[in-house]
Amino acid sequence: MPPLARIRIDLTSQVPAYRQIVDALRVLLVEGTLPPGSDLPSVRRLAMELGVHFNTVGEAYRTLAEEGWLDLRHGRSAKVIARGAPSAASPERLQEFRTQLRNLVAQMRAAGVPLARIAAELRSTMEGLNL
Amino acid sequence: MNNDLPVSLLVAAFTGAVMLLLPHISPQRYFFAITVPPGFPASPAARTSLRRYYAAVLCSIAISVLALLELDRSTGPLLPVVAMLAPSILGMLAFLFERYRVAQVAPRPDPVRVVELSSDDDRLPRWIALVLPPFAFPIATAAWLRARWNEIPARFPIHWNGHDIADRFAGKTPRAVYGPLLFCGGMMLVMILLTLAMFYGSRRGRQRTAIVKMMVATIYFIATLFSVMAILPIAPFPPSMLLIPAVFFPALILIWIIRVLRDPNMPVDQTPDDCWYLGSIYVNVRDPAIFVQKRIGFGYTINMGNRLAWMLMGGFVAALLGLIFTLPR
Repeated sequence: MPPLARIRIDLTSQVPAYRQIVDALRVLLVEGTLPPGSDLPSVRRLAMELGVHFNTVGEAYRTLAEEGWLDLRHGRSAKVIARGAPSAASPERLQEFRTQLRNLVAQMRAAGVPLARIAAELRSTMEGLNL
Repeated sequence: MNNDLPVSLLVAAFTGAVMLLLPHISPQRYFFAITVPPGFPASPAARTSLRRYYAAVLCSIAISVLALLELDRSTGPLLPVVAMLAPSILGMLAFLFERYRVAQVAPRPDPVRVVELSSDDDRLPRWIALVLPPFAFPIATAAWLRARWNEIPARFPIHWNGHDIADRFAGKTPRAVYGPLLFCGGMMLVMILLTLAMFYGSRRGRQRTAIVKMMVATIYFIATLFSVMAILPIAPFPPSMLLIPAVFFPALILIWIIRVLRDPNMPVDQTPDDCWYLGSIYVNVRDPAIFVQKRIGFGYTINMGNRLAWMLMGGFVAALLGLIFTLPR
């Protein structure tokens, strides 16, 4: 039985709901929990379930469509599509990811997480994402 | 003793009993209309709240009964009515006080929303088509009345008193004969539209399905009741007999509701506590849901912060008013 595709967002978080939805969906798309052909809930339905504005979900879907994950042509519903291999990230983009990763590792260290544990978490995350 | 006293005492006792039950006729995750973690109702703080609430309601019932026994007709009609309503008014005040106290001690609800990414529940269940057969009841009744038009008396009763004696009559006109059936068909249509609006305008959950089933059952009940009422002019039987299903059907619904509410696994709508006023009015402009799960009792209430909800309710009231004009007078 395939794992249940669920997303979770924290309405009190300082991270905008739109960003939380994009990030959560992208994880499911990358790890294959949402394979090509899967139907996502309509914008209206997902907004209602999450208790956020329709535009928040609409914007999240559009961002993922621009990244090549979703097909939004079917009215307001969204379908996961097969995504071709993306071209290699530019040096600038790579630097951006590196900065984000450094920030995250620094946050974990600041919170008292040992280096070995951070390395294990990174490994486990990469395995989970089938990388 | 005046004639109204037994009725007043009965009403006071009944409303008092309802107030005593009020904290228990809500989904299990709510305690005095506040979201609480599982197991909270068994905590010492919750038990103290409940004891204090019971004491306040019992006092209000005692005050009501004593006041009703003391007051006679010479005091005018207002005071006995106030005394009769004391359990409801004082009970509700006690409820709101305990709600405030529980909100102080209950842990804040989890702000995290978890949603299953499935589009399966977005479609109406196939059994919703069961709302269509009941339309045959008023249509068949209308055809039956039309075939027996000559048997309908020139004047026939349309209202009866408590002793089954007719006290209002209508002339034999199409409106008087077919009016109840038209009203019935209109009510059924309005209920179907309301059910659809509720289904698409609320969050997923077992309660949503339960309410749709209840609406379907109610449509059958209305179709049957009004079809039987419509044949009264030529098939006279004691109209009080109609009271039997009119009492039993809501009683059955109530039993079913209590069974559903006692299910500890019944999911709850994650609505913020601070968007609820008086425990029963929900106003949240950020929530796109039109209907949200009630915190007191069973079912749904409208999100008054949503403009669509106001438009929907406006349409519903206008339709009801329009339907009332179809009834014979």
